[in-house]
Amino acid sequence: MSYLIPAYLFAVALLGGYLVYSLRKLRELESKQ
Amino acid sequence: MNRYERWAAAAVALMLVAGAAIFFYAPTDYLQGPVQRIFYLHVSSAIAAYGCFAVVLVGGLIYLRNESAVADRFARAGALVGVIFTTVTLVMGMLWAKPIWGTFWTWDARLTSTLVLWIVYAGYLLVRRLAEPGRQAARLAAVVGIFGFVDVPIVHFSVTWWRTQHPGPIIVNDALPAQMLATFLFTMACTLVLAAVMVWIRYRIETLTDERLHVAEPVRMATSREPEPAQ
Repeated sequence: MSYLIPAYLFAVALLGGYLVYSLRKLRELESKQ
Repeated sequence: MNRYERWAAAAVALMLVAGAAIFFYAPTDYLQGPVQRIFYLHVSSAIAAYGCFAVVLVGGLIYLRNESAVADRFARAGALVGVIFTTVTLVMGMLWAKPIWGTFWTWDARLTSTLVLWIVYAGYLLVRRLAEPGRQAARLAAVVGIFGFVDVPIVHFSVTWWRTQHPGPIIVNDALPAQMLATFLFTMACTLVLAAVMVWIRYRIETLTDERLHVAEPVRMATSREPEPAQ
């Protein structure tokens, strides 16, 4: 169990973090158009 | 909320359902215990990464054939998202390996070839970042992306071609109980949807970035030009 939670926390942080970053970047680029 | 955000929200909702299936529906493995639940996203991420690198391969081939900017942007998007999913695969695998093998890392064929895959496509991204945007960088990156894909079947079949610490194929050998198989297939489908949405969003970012560069370039050239000599 001790390695299960960090493994999923890492995946959520990386995938979720990238998704949020890319949506914010897209919104920023579209607002500049 | 624009259409990209709606698709992203749908993909996140699917992943939450997959997470519920992984933690509450799939049975606990008798031998490994709860840590075996890493399997579902670890393998799904690897398959999503293969898909992303296939996009880089096809994009690179199309670019070399007809210099399609659309193909090049899809290749760039696929490489970035593929590296992210490969990172998830590697790190989750290491965290699974520690309690089962007693070590985070071993230089067996599967782990080493996966690390090489990560390095090749990280190199692809580095080429795109460091080289001046244009035809030459796109052609060089296309070649890296095409040759880099050679490593994908090596990663996939390494567990059957060589003796490895990493376990061999269990899906095709019917080694999973029905509930585990259903959870895995559902998680894989959700992960592929998430990867597709991420590539689509990145493609849009690359398109808008290219459009901005093409607008900015003539202005930069005009301001840096030497003044005309007086007649």
